[in-house]
Amino acid sequence: MSSTDSSADGDRYVAVHGSAGFKSLQRQTNSFLIRASVLFFGWWFAGTALAAFAPGFFRQEIGGPVNVGLLFMFLTFAVVVTVCATYLRYAANRLDPLTDQVRAELEGEPR
Amino acid sequence: MSTTLADPPPPIDNTWAVPEIAIPATIAAAVAVYFVVKAVRDSVRTSDDFLVAGRRIGPVQNAVALASAPLMYSTLFIITGHIALNGYDAAMLLTAFTTSMVLGVLLFASPVRNLGGYTLGDIFAMRAEERQARKAAAIVTLLIYGMFTIISLAAIAFIFNRWFGLDNVAGLGLSVLVVGLVTVFYAYTAGMAGVTRLLVFKAILTLTVVLVLTLLVLAEFNLNVFDILDKAEQNRKDVPAGYDLLGPGREFGEGQHRLVHLSKLFCVAVGVAAIPFLFLRNFATTSGRDARRSAGWASMIVVGVYLCMAIVGFASVAVLGSERIGVIKAHRDISLPKLVDELGGPVMIGVLAPIALLTIVGVYAALLINAVTCVTKDLNVVRGRKPDPAGELRDIRRNTLRIGIASVLVGVAMLPVRTHIFIPTSIDLAGTAVLPAVVYALFWRRFNTAGLKWIVYGGTALLMFLVVFSNGVSGPDDAIFAGANFKFIDIEPGLITIPAGFLLGYFGSLSSKERDDKAFAEMQVRALTGGRAPAAARTGADGDDRPRTPSEAR
Repeated sequence: MSSTDSSADGDRYVAVHGSAGFKSLQRQTNSFLIRASVLFFGWWFAGTALAAFAPGFFRQEIGGPVNVGLLFMFLTFAVVVTVCATYLRYAANRLDPLTDQVRAELEGEPR
Repeated sequence: MSTTLADPPPPIDNTWAVPEIAIPATIAAAVAVYFVVKAVRDSVRTSDDFLVAGRRIGPVQNAVALASAPLMYSTLFIITGHIALNGYDAAMLLTAFTTSMVLGVLLFASPVRNLGGYTLGDIFAMRAEERQARKAAAIVTLLIYGMFTIISLAAIAFIFNRWFGLDNVAGLGLSVLVVGLVTVFYAYTAGMAGVTRLLVFKAILTLTVVLVLTLLVLAEFNLNVFDILDKAEQNRKDVPAGYDLLGPGREFGEGQHRLVHLSKLFCVAVGVAAIPFLFLRNFATTSGRDARRSAGWASMIVVGVYLCMAIVGFASVAVLGSERIGVIKAHRDISLPKLVDELGGPVMIGVLAPIALLTIVGVYAALLINAVTCVTKDLNVVRGRKPDPAGELRDIRRNTLRIGIASVLVGVAMLPVRTHIFIPTSIDLAGTAVLPAVVYALFWRRFNTAGLKWIVYGGTALLMFLVVFSNGVSGPDDAIFAGANFKFIDIEPGLITIPAGFLLGYFGSLSSKERDDKAFAEMQVRALTGGRAPAAARTGADGDDRPRTPSEAR
């Protein structure tokens, strides 16, 4: 596979891949992404399924012209902003410092 | 041509277009865009400058450029009219688009940029045999390019009809030809750097327009959104299906039919994130962190715009009433110009016409750069060509002209065909053949060449088979072969083929013994950290740490 780095480098990637620092970075990244994805996509798919299969619930009026469906739509927009903002903040505060450490380990002179 | 714009009845009496303002405004806008693009021409000295803007696009600029992508003809003009006609169910499409952007932020933006390639092939080639990987990437990228190009050029014809009042066949063909060629010239002038500028310019103008329109309709209703909604419901156009405007039903309907609209929403939510020319622009940002930030900011900007578009959509029917909006599917895109005419009069229509054109010009320019990058970096390897570095930029520029001019000619020739099915099909193709492959490449240890081939070839073949027997090709009046009816599925094929793509990749990978744990380790480490092992960084395999060429060092 010519597009991946040479074999000696490959060993180095394997070493870093198995290192405690990388494992911790990977765990923290994945645990956030999986939780955020399940919550967000779960929310959207559930709402969309309700609109399709339980339209009566979505048509229930809340006040004035607003019904449950419109509220869901508005909340979805709010959730998008919240998910993105939370991820950006989490990544900058928690993931980036760890990334710097692992990257230094990877790019440092071979021992 | 006659079929594209042979609008089904009732006839559209275009009383709002003011070509005497729109044409000079368009020429002025074209010149302004030329100067915007030309300003960065001198920064393009190497092929990297041309293809990925030297990876110098900062997070703010990239965020605005990314945010301009979901503002195209099918969203800005058609979905607003769709909301005016079909209300709640149509507005759900907007949430599907934003959902897809979140997918891009969480899964793609930062890892893809961290790998530091140019094309889809660069990502695939890290996990599969290189030539096979690049061939598969080139096929799917160019297929999506072809379909998107044809619908973009058709959209230009619609804008000339709706916003300029142009109604004759030859005039429309000529207009599309001219606008298409001017776009090619913009892309040729300054590559990705220029196209990014163009997208930023487009985004700023489009965002301003949406904001101004929203303020105008809010002013009309004394800043009371509830009044807009109430009035929209009162004025609703009664459709055969029945149902209120503000609740679900008009598109979802009942029984089996529900799945049709649900499948459309699903395909948009999952597929749009994987359209190559959209997420690959992250390669042009300065770093993985900036790609992540810009994708996040772009989603927030788009949420704001879409909220405004939902208000404008409902306000169209509230202001115009049930008969003056576009009352059938093919006429949905006349509601917005009519609303503009009602609120702002002829001057505003004239001034907005070039901005309407610019939304498509931006999409097509970005597509063209994506296709040229694919040909340069993937197709040349597949064909065993090794362009010499000194001549590469000249080669790329020549390819831009060749591919661009050929595509514009094909697009003009395709105007008579009703090709609107290409929009959902290219979104489905991205979800079927690109999304599973990228997700597996990034996250699954066992993924290999066989898995990739099963996804790309199997997924594409299955999708095309289903599309041929779906609504856009035969059956309804607006299908390609409207006279015939050999369809057997009503739902959008992506609902079947996207999960099928994931399954194909899974079984395909397991069917082969090929397994490369080292490549997986490298993929994961590079995607997560953006770093390279020191030896690789020195010799520069194919990433952004490539040693400076003499011309760059100068």
